[in-house]
Amino acid sequence: MIRKEPRLYYRVFVWSGTLRLFHWTLAFSTFILILTGIYIHYPPITTKWAEFKPLYIMATLRYWHFAAGYFFICALAVRFYLFFAGNQYERPTDFLPINKRNLKSLVYNIKFYLYLTDEHECRMGHTILAGTIYFVLFICGVVMGLTGLYLLYPETPTIAKIGHELFGTPQQARLIHYLLNWFFIFFILVHLYIAIWNDFNAPDAIISGAFSGSKMMPADLECPVEELEKIPFEK
Amino acid sequence: MFTKDHINDFAGGGVSRRTFLKGCAIAAATLGLSPDVVPKMVEAAMSPKRPPVVWLHFQECTGCSEALLRAARPDIATLILDLISLDYHETLMAAAGKQAEENLHNAITKNAGKFICVVEGGIPTKDSGIYCKIGGKTAMEILGDVAPKAKAIIAIGTCGAFGGVQAAKPNPTGAVGVQDLIKDRPIINIPGCPPNPENFLATVVQILTYGRPPELDELGRPKFAYGRKIHDHCERRPHFDEGRFVERFGDPGHKKGYCLYKVGCKGPVTYSNCSVERFCNIGVWPVGVGHGCIGCTEPGFWDTMTPIYKHLPGIYIPVGGGIREQAEEIGKVAVGGAAAVIAAHAAVGIGKKLFSIRCSTENKDEEK
Ligand code: HEM
Ligand code: SF4
Repeated sequence: MIRKEPRLYYRVFVWSGTLRLFHWTLAFSTFILILTGIYIHYPPITTKWAEFKPLYIMATLRYWHFAAGYFFICALAVRFYLFFAGNQYERPTDFLPINKRNLKSLVYNIKFYLYLTDEHECRMGHTILAGTIYFVLFICGVVMGLTGLYLLYPETPTIAKIGHELFGTPQQARLIHYLLNWFFIFFILVHLYIAIWNDFNAPDAIISGAFSGSKMMPADLECPVEELEKIPFEK
Repeated sequence: MFTKDHINDFAGGGVSRRTFLKGCAIAAATLGLSPDVVPKMVEAAMSPKRPPVVWLHFQECTGCSEALLRAARPDIATLILDLISLDYHETLMAAAGKQAEENLHNAITKNAGKFICVVEGGIPTKDSGIYCKIGGKTAMEILGDVAPKAKAIIAIGTCGAFGGVQAAKPNPTGAVGVQDLIKDRPIINIPGCPPNPENFLATVVQILTYGRPPELDELGRPKFAYGRKIHDHCERRPHFDEGRFVERFGDPGHKKGYCLYKVGCKGPVTYSNCSVERFCNIGVWPVGVGHGCIGCTEPGFWDTMTPIYKHLPGIYIPVGGGIREQAEEIGKVAVGGAAAVIAAHAAVGIGKKLFSIRCSTENKDEEK
């Protein structure tokens, strides 16, 4: 049975190139950070052969972890910049539940994900639920970066001072760093599922949007249409 | 400069010239100074007026004093005892009772502003500090009397520095370290359980020679001794970098001297010079003899460094009667839970879709 969407869609440009650069830098660096981080946390048995063949494996993976860590920190810096200098959809005012419009949208959102309504709210930017979780992720990322730098340079006076004020001893920072690692794994799992789920259930085409920066918007949608005019489609 | 006579005079006090020079050389080496400063140290240490020291004991096991006195390098104990004038030390002094109290009173009034106060042990603060009393006075009161008059305050051992074992959760007596009570002046912390006597010696010699304490880190520990991680000076470090780990005590890797990271070594987060200075003059230290570092020089180590044979501490979860869970388990439960929720969510979605398709076909059938 072929079911046709009875609507006409515009392809609108939402996510700037900078934002997409941030997204994929964060994604790849986090992926490497988790894999190498888990090795650092619990290196599996490699001794039988490592004895014969020099591998330098822990040192190498730590090196990758730190290198990826720098990309991760740079990505966060870019996102922070976009909080203020990004386009309208990239600023926190658009996706945090801080005003009436956003709160209403949040309730709607939750209903949609709980299968309580079939009607998908077509929004230009992040949904409020997603935006809130991304914001929490950003904060966790900052904590990851700070604890990471503290673990990496515990002897540098300024870092030692900040780290000690915020987290206590390096051991306490290590525990926080490790626990949040699981939050990132948790996030990736849910994030991928929600992205795929949305591709099934909503017409926005958000997965391809992560590459192209565009979203599909129903042409008959009232509110954002005049906003659409304001946004140049760059390509 | 010093002359042979001076040294002989000093030697008359119980230390041979050789021992004495050797001691100062050890101190200089520990401080990371060039041997050129040894004569200066000797000169300072030789001054006829030896600095008076008042050694206070609170909630402690006397292990720090013991470590000092029983150092296998007997020179050190003798040297320290000859370098300073130990006016009050509860374990060592002959006096007792009222006489001892008088000694303390005299020492701090006569030498006000000149003596070094060494504090061994934590200080209970709960219920106005009644959990540690000496001669009818609480530890807090004694410290309050003595510390403000001291020229320098050294907290020896993890208990004096950070509260130690009695400050471990739930800390029933409200024990704290010296630096938590005396905030208006720097405290020199020489933590460790017990600390290496050589670090104490070097600190004292530094104060005698230069009249000021050594450079301290965030936690008030002398940087010459606590400036680097154990991990960065460990002889097993090449095994760490190479990925060769002891899996269980007594396994082949353990016999070969592999890294102790996976059996809970806290070297990567512990600051001390154990691996360089070593103990007992025979070049031993915990990791050297096959046991991981337990992190005893770090604040709160009883809480944050335990379980000793695990890499990271457990997390206290205040449900189910208060269970301690390993951090890892929490993570796995969270991720497993998320996976289960995702599966259920997807199943509901698919179920709903199938159901609605069936309904719509049924409706069509009815229409016909
Ligand atoms: C999403 C981001 C990150 C994840 C998931 C992650 C994960 C981990 C994990 C699981 C560990 C092992 C913890 C342990 O058991 O000791 C670790 C250690 C570490 N991470 Fe990260 N990390 C992240 C970001 C960073 C960043 C941004 C830096 C800073 C450049 C960093 C630096 C370190 C350092 C220095 C260690 C300690 C290595 C050691 O003990 O040898 N991490 N990380
Ligand atoms: S034994 Fe401990 S201090 Fe030594 S390299 Fe291994 S983890 Fe580091």
